[in-house]
Amino acid sequence: MSKVRSGAQSGLLTGFIDIFFVLVGLTLLVGSLVAEWLDISAQWPGAWLLLATVAFWSGSRAARSIEAQTWKDVSLASLTAGLVHGLCLGLFAGGMAAVMAAGANVRQWLVQIYPETIALVTFDLAPVVGALVIVGLSTVVALAGGWLYLLSQRQEWRKTWRSWRTSAVDRVVSSRAVEQATSFKYFDQTKYVLVALLLLIAPLVLDRYWNFILGTVGIYIILGLGLNIVVGMAGLLNLGYAAFFAIGAYTVAILTAPQFTVNTSFWVALPVGIVLAVLTGVLLSLPVLRMRGDYLAIVTLGFGEIIRILSKSDILTDFTGGPRGIRAVAGPVIFGLKLNSVEHFVYFILLGIIAGIFVTRRLQRSRLGRALMAMREDETVAQAVGIYTLKYKVLAFAIGAAFAGLGGVIFASRNRFTGPEDFTLLVSINVLSLVIIGGMNSIPGVVVGALVLKGLPELLRQLDDYRMLAFGALLVIMMILRPEGLLPAQRGQPVSTVEEMEAES
Amino acid sequence: MAADASSRSARSLNLSRFVRPAIGVLILGFFIWRLWTVLFVEQIYGPDTWLRFVISGVILGGVYAVVALGYTLVYGILFMINFAHGDVMMLGAFAGYFALEAFKGAGLLNRSLGWSIVCVIATFIVGMTVGALVAVLLERVAYRPLRNAPRLVPLISAIGASLFLQNMAQLVFGAARHTYSNPSFIERNTGWNLMVGGQEVLLTYTGVLTFVLSILLMVGLYLLVQRTKMGKAMRAVAEDKDTAALMGIDVDRVISNTFAISGVLAGAAGVMWGLHMGIIYHYVGFLPGMKAFTAAVMGGIGNVPGAMLGGLALGVMEALGPAALGMPFQLKDVLAFSILVLVLIFRPTGLLGEVLSEEKV
Repeated sequence: MSKVRSGAQSGLLTGFIDIFFVLVGLTLLVGSLVAEWLDISAQWPGAWLLLATVAFWSGSRAARSIEAQTWKDVSLASLTAGLVHGLCLGLFAGGMAAVMAAGANVRQWLVQIYPETIALVTFDLAPVVGALVIVGLSTVVALAGGWLYLLSQRQEWRKTWRSWRTSAVDRVVSSRAVEQATSFKYFDQTKYVLVALLLLIAPLVLDRYWNFILGTVGIYIILGLGLNIVVGMAGLLNLGYAAFFAIGAYTVAILTAPQFTVNTSFWVALPVGIVLAVLTGVLLSLPVLRMRGDYLAIVTLGFGEIIRILSKSDILTDFTGGPRGIRAVAGPVIFGLKLNSVEHFVYFILLGIIAGIFVTRRLQRSRLGRALMAMREDETVAQAVGIYTLKYKVLAFAIGAAFAGLGGVIFASRNRFTGPEDFTLLVSINVLSLVIIGGMNSIPGVVVGALVLKGLPELLRQLDDYRMLAFGALLVIMMILRPEGLLPAQRGQPVSTVEEMEAES
Repeated sequence: MAADASSRSARSLNLSRFVRPAIGVLILGFFIWRLWTVLFVEQIYGPDTWLRFVISGVILGGVYAVVALGYTLVYGILFMINFAHGDVMMLGAFAGYFALEAFKGAGLLNRSLGWSIVCVIATFIVGMTVGALVAVLLERVAYRPLRNAPRLVPLISAIGASLFLQNMAQLVFGAARHTYSNPSFIERNTGWNLMVGGQEVLLTYTGVLTFVLSILLMVGLYLLVQRTKMGKAMRAVAEDKDTAALMGIDVDRVISNTFAISGVLAGAAGVMWGLHMGIIYHYVGFLPGMKAFTAAVMGGIGNVPGAMLGGLALGVMEALGPAALGMPFQLKDVLAFSILVLVLIFRPTGLLGEVLSEEKV
């Protein structure tokens, strides 16, 4: 009976996943994307590709969870899984189709359920027939999933697969060309030079839109590098990071925009913005840093919200422009050359990133950085070995805030505008997500995180609605499967081991 | 705090020991000065207005208290902030909304007074069930695999879950605002008129319902935790998981039950919010969630009576605060967040004290 039960569990789980896909409108979207890609008019192949993948997984999951070895067991488990999965989806789709046939406007309650959405799933058949077809299809696909799992468990299959994979990998890795290339003395340097050249040329080749995206990704890399020092190195969860970003942006706006009387140049505003952000960071950190990790997160979140609400409130309208924000923020001028196009800013942002990477790398190898990392690993032990944690926490907050201030200054002067909606909680969560998903305390991790989280959604514009949904799911999945992130930091080698020290003495 | 004390070296000059009282005195002085100005110098508001503020504050406070209980229960057992708790409340509110729409569609909502009451009860049951289901699922998917991970890991997972639930609600139900269709006997903005100082003050039916229900839920929860076997098991697990497991308590099940109870409370709070405030949308859980968390911290997180007291106190403070301090009403939310920050700075153990000692965390 355990086979039937685990099959039913799998089916129920995946059935709900498929219903979820239909409810959020993912089936329609994938359907149209696949149709566009294959240049066909029918959308059901794409939609069913998505639904059937889940059904397939349902079958193989059921088989795997009972560690089935015989055809009979696997068939029983995956058949149940497929049936239950099909029943869930079929009842849902059939029910919806019936409700629609009765003339009710389902979109009044569930906005993604267009008549086409359901028609795609049920192949435009009558409710009952459609539901039956769904049950049949799911069962077949889940059975296939279970059987494939069994085949993949066969010894000879696994052996062939493993040997093929290792030989393929070996052939590439141990080939003479790769060996020669990696043993080349200046391999690391050449790699960086190539990347740098590519980045130098890119803004000239790309159009305005892509340069804008590139700049945004760059600003997020700066923010990520800064938050990485706070979260990744020191282990202090800061959810109000956007507040420092806002302080940098508003400083440059107030100091340079023509509507105020100050009207200094960008180069004056830049250090002032950074210093103000640092000061705020220090001021905030002094009272709150005695708190434990999760309390700190909530307090910083509250602080970020306070700054945002204040920035759009009436009492500060004279300084912040309220909800309308500040326009005509000045850009930097170098030797009479006005940096005001998006392309120029890409270079400028690149400089900021290089500074950020430099600081992070120096920190990682310095006494301060090691103290921060020790604090992250275990605060009590860090204190016991003589690290005055409060001081280092303040320092970490200050350095992180400096980068946020820099990012804010560049952001406001590139957009030539700043307003309260640029600094919502989502900004803080975006930066946090990119640090965590990329890999804590890892520079390539931050870069990759920013590219994936801010760059990728631009490539897949249609998927933009699902971006935050995917972030949320990704955060949970990453924490469960890979809490160290996609590209985790390389642990440094200890300077001397216990044996060495004993040998020395 | 022994480690803390020893780490305070001479060169730090005990900065925080000096800074904290200074900030405290400044804030208290400002507070008294504003109160003096508003109450005795300017005298903008009459007694009727103050009563209106108190009524709305107590009602809101009841909702906060019910949500805060969920935070406190989960924190008491797992020592983690269930960041997605506000979103459970939001989903409960949506469930109640759909239930009411269904009753309206079936023509039962206003058939007679009896039917209306049945519909409202059923709506609450639907909202509470959905809340419990979501909370239990949340624990299974997002928290249980991380039971033994470092402290920040489940918190990040909870933030992810909160983001996921919010955006799922936005995608599925749309970003538009939905209006609750109350049955006619508890129509919004109808109620008893009280005469205070020659002015009419409205005491709404929904407000009274909300308040009475929240008190009932609080009493029920208190009895559940103190008097039943399940409550005893919960308290045992909160005290010491390993020992509880040795005594034959199924820790996983107790944690599941705790999440179910917190979900029931959040779902009920969601329906109350919908019936009383009328408008719900995908982001509706965020602010009440944050404020309820503030309330839980204020009362001493992990402390059940503390959460009730904190919730009511926060509701009243938030309703009276802007008027009493002469702040613009726009800054109501700033006040709540400031209270959170101030409580955490000056009395992190809350008004009634954290029931759980430091070393257990």
